[in-house]
Amino acid sequence: MSSSTSKALDPSSVELWDHSHHHHDVISTRTFGFWLYMLSDAMIFAVLFAAWEVLSYSHNFAGGPTPANFVEPGYVFLQTLALFTSVLAYGFTMVALKNGNKAGVISGLWGALILGGAFLALDINDVVHLVGMGITPERSGGLSAFFILTQTHALHILFGLLWMLVMLVQVSRFGFTADVVGRLLSLRLFWHFQAVVWVFVFVFVYLRGMLI
Amino acid sequence: MLVDLQGPWSPLLGRLALSQIPYENPILAPLFVVVAIMGVAIIAALSYYGKWGYLWREWLTTVDHKKIGIMYIIIGLVMLFRGFMDGLMIRTQQAMAVGPDAAGYMGALHGYLTPYHFGQIYSAHGVIMILLAATPLLVGIMNIIVPIQVGARDMAYPYLNAVGLWITAAAAVLVMASLFVGDFSHNGWFGIAPIFELPYSPGVGVDYWMWVMQLAALGSTLGSINILATIVKMRAPGMTWLRLPIFTWASLATNIIALTSFPALTVALALIGFDRYLGTHFFTAGLGGNLMLYTDLFWLWGHPEVYFVILPAFGMLSEIIPTFSEKPLFGYVTMVLATFGIAGVSWAVWLHHFFTMGAGPAVISFFSVATMLVGIPTGVKVFNWAFTMYRGRLRFETPMLWSIGSLFLLLVGGLTGMMLAFPAINYMVHNSVFVIAHFHSMLLMIVYAIFGAVTYWWPKIFGFKLNEAWGKAVFWLFTAGTVGVFVPMYTLGFMGMTRRLDYVFNTQWQPLLDVQMLGIAFYSLSVLAFLGLLYVSIRDRAKSWVSHDAWGTTHSVEWMTPSPVPFYNFAVVPHINARDEWSWRKEHGFTDLRPDHYEDIHMPKNTGIPLILGTLTLLLGFGLTWRIWWLCALSLALIIAVVIIRSFDTDTGYIIPADEVERMERAHHERAQAAVELPEAGVPGGVTAYGQDKPAAKGEALGSSGISSPEGSRA
Amino acid sequence: MSHDDPLQHPEVQVASGRGYLLTFLISTLLMGVSLLLVANHAMPPFGLMLVLSLCAGLAVIVQIYFLMHMDLSETHIWNTVALVLTIPLFILAIGLTAWMFSTLYERTMVMLPSMHGMAGMVH
Repeated sequence: MSSSTSKALDPSSVELWDHSHHHHDVISTRTFGFWLYMLSDAMIFAVLFAAWEVLSYSHNFAGGPTPANFVEPGYVFLQTLALFTSVLAYGFTMVALKNGNKAGVISGLWGALILGGAFLALDINDVVHLVGMGITPERSGGLSAFFILTQTHALHILFGLLWMLVMLVQVSRFGFTADVVGRLLSLRLFWHFQAVVWVFVFVFVYLRGMLI
Repeated sequence: MLVDLQGPWSPLLGRLALSQIPYENPILAPLFVVVAIMGVAIIAALSYYGKWGYLWREWLTTVDHKKIGIMYIIIGLVMLFRGFMDGLMIRTQQAMAVGPDAAGYMGALHGYLTPYHFGQIYSAHGVIMILLAATPLLVGIMNIIVPIQVGARDMAYPYLNAVGLWITAAAAVLVMASLFVGDFSHNGWFGIAPIFELPYSPGVGVDYWMWVMQLAALGSTLGSINILATIVKMRAPGMTWLRLPIFTWASLATNIIALTSFPALTVALALIGFDRYLGTHFFTAGLGGNLMLYTDLFWLWGHPEVYFVILPAFGMLSEIIPTFSEKPLFGYVTMVLATFGIAGVSWAVWLHHFFTMGAGPAVISFFSVATMLVGIPTGVKVFNWAFTMYRGRLRFETPMLWSIGSLFLLLVGGLTGMMLAFPAINYMVHNSVFVIAHFHSMLLMIVYAIFGAVTYWWPKIFGFKLNEAWGKAVFWLFTAGTVGVFVPMYTLGFMGMTRRLDYVFNTQWQPLLDVQMLGIAFYSLSVLAFLGLLYVSIRDRAKSWVSHDAWGTTHSVEWMTPSPVPFYNFAVVPHINARDEWSWRKEHGFTDLRPDHYEDIHMPKNTGIPLILGTLTLLLGFGLTWRIWWLCALSLALIIAVVIIRSFDTDTGYIIPADEVERMERAHHERAQAAVELPEAGVPGGVTAYGQDKPAAKGEALGSSGISSPEGSRA
Repeated sequence: MSHDDPLQHPEVQVASGRGYLLTFLISTLLMGVSLLLVANHAMPPFGLMLVLSLCAGLAVIVQIYFLMHMDLSETHIWNTVALVLTIPLFILAIGLTAWMFSTLYERTMVMLPSMHGMAGMVH
């Protein structure tokens, strides 16, 4: 068709419609969206840390027990080891995935699950022990912040473990479809991010708390 | 239970009891009857016309971003009406209850609302207008337009999109339920420590408020992930960043803000929840709590939130104004930079909502200067819009009227905002109605932009234009209302009237309050005019069908689709060659929008899971509010189970074969040919893209080559 | 990609056992050092927090790069961009909050002799 305006381009030199049959990358669309969700999760922790910061002055403990009174360094370090080895186990799961090794992926998931479960068990044991001693979140603002921040992290671990269980079933049942691989990659982002969050929780809540 | 609950609690019903239903309230009881009758009428009509299947298949289980967007807009409009009724009640009470001799009705000492009721009304008004009216309207428009503008078939996560919608709907239902079961919060829309603590607010009101906001926040966060992933990952080939339509840029900035700031609201409210449900001491006045921490955490969200609502409005203006000035947008790059400048700075200003808290002078100065800095990129935008209009061929159709009105409101609201950025001024007017007038000017700026955008994009989505005369009537009536209500409010603010007064002690303010009632009268008329607009436009739609380029001078990708847009958006994804792709194509004569080949299209299937998740979320919110623990546990477990079960579903899409696509496209083409009318006189355009071989019914007058804009109008 | 083998996707192929092991060792070491410093009260609180913050920061950087593969490669660039845009907000939320409340306390809190000093950031 000819144009009555100027600047008519040669139609054959111009690409108007997509011919490339390019199928969009389902996997990285999924992981990108999941990472965005993780960043909003990071902001949840940011705000919780801000609350902890404000509520960790000595008067916020209302004369009651402070973390210095009850945090046992060795115990928390054990939790750290459990979590970090779990993260490492998941890392090896990803290496197995890279090599298409289904048995490797499944045993890696089990490893991460059990070690993460150990972390959670240690955490629950700790909380039960503290509550038994009357060191509860209702005791003071500082303790409220301490408990909620640490247990929010623990809650994330719980959801991660549940997710690992689901992935065990899905990998066995469906093998390495695009959806399953996408989910494993998202879980990697989630689980490895828990290591990052734990560094912050460990240093700025447990260790810092020991100085109050 | 870990806390001291006043009032009864039973394991089966939690705090629910018959006494929580306001039988005797003279306003609520009749309202309930009206609502019940309307509900029954709707159900009866659906059954009589046999539309349940249609409703389920086409709307309740859809994952189509356009339908989801329309449903968001419906929620927004209904809640806008509810919020308006709350506002009307506030204004009426304040006009009636002036001075110690003011009469009292219906159990109130003055006016007709008891303080108990009045507190709930202004709290609900704020929550509803911001989170359940403005936000869904904006999210709905972004939902509809952004995927088409980037040349995609749908959002990145269609299923998640539907989930976000139904969670937002759950929040709306929950807040409406608070009318008829229990009370709403008396604590204002943003909450005041320590009044929201259990001893001071022993009822369920604050709990309703908390969970409504949490659900709305969850919906927004999920939605923001979707839009961000769509813009980053699903752009059509050739759409580089500098070719992105300006509304899409605005949506990008908006959703970055949403993603990063809504978590602050989630935490702030969750911490109140822990105080109220577990007896912790985050915000208590003793045992190591910190009251102002709540204010800090809330406004950490609250300030980015206002930029979350205004940036899409700016984006809409940037789309509408160039179309009706018949010029491209002036300063595209600076617009984009300004948008991100605003978004970035908006993260460092939140203390200006509580200058009076008493932080140190260095802190206050920092936040004051940062607040003022936001004015610079905003000013850049205003000048860019002005320069777009300068020497353009302005057409004052309804969307343009709304846009220009919006700019005036931006000026007023922005300048008063700059005033408020000065701590010295702020200390004087903090908590007065001057602040209310300021933020209503800004919010109305957004509402104007929304109305303009709805009118602008309506023909694209529905295939016919809204009636121009009625549209203008709505605009002028609404503007009269705005002026009538808010100009006196600035004055009253300077005269010392504080906010949230259920009894106005100073009779000298009566004349101004009466002028505000006149404003309310105009608003009410505008609501009626809006209903008239819808009725007339839908009734006469056969006479106002449009082709794909409804306004003639549009410029971006979404105008390259048929009107209404088919469910798959594009038969073949376009390749993008320029910024303002559609203008570029018109300029170079590529107005034939039939693709040169057809392909199979992969589409997501409908699913009822999002609706189920929304319902479960509603039950969870209700259970948490009323402390019905078994309901909470059950609905939470079911939510997790449903999500997991859904993840095992591998059959979530279907393929439309290429010849089927071609058949549907041809049907669109034929329908467009048969039905397209020349737009009203004075409006060039109405291009029929589908072919020079079959001239449009009355389109020959504009030239058979189908070019819309006459030479020389592209600057 | 939907026709390709999911296992060949770059995000899968980038997994590196060595990187994960290295991250594990460095993080554990840094956390152990931090713990020892605190348990032994090796420095005054302010210095201690500084060193701890450095350890934490280093551990996190190692994790983000080796464990989470946040780099500028085409596969991961958008993830990295999103992270880089979020970090300042994380810092602002916590930092500005801390600043405003410390000034608030200076101005409004009654100093009782039993409190171990409120000046600056000493808690």
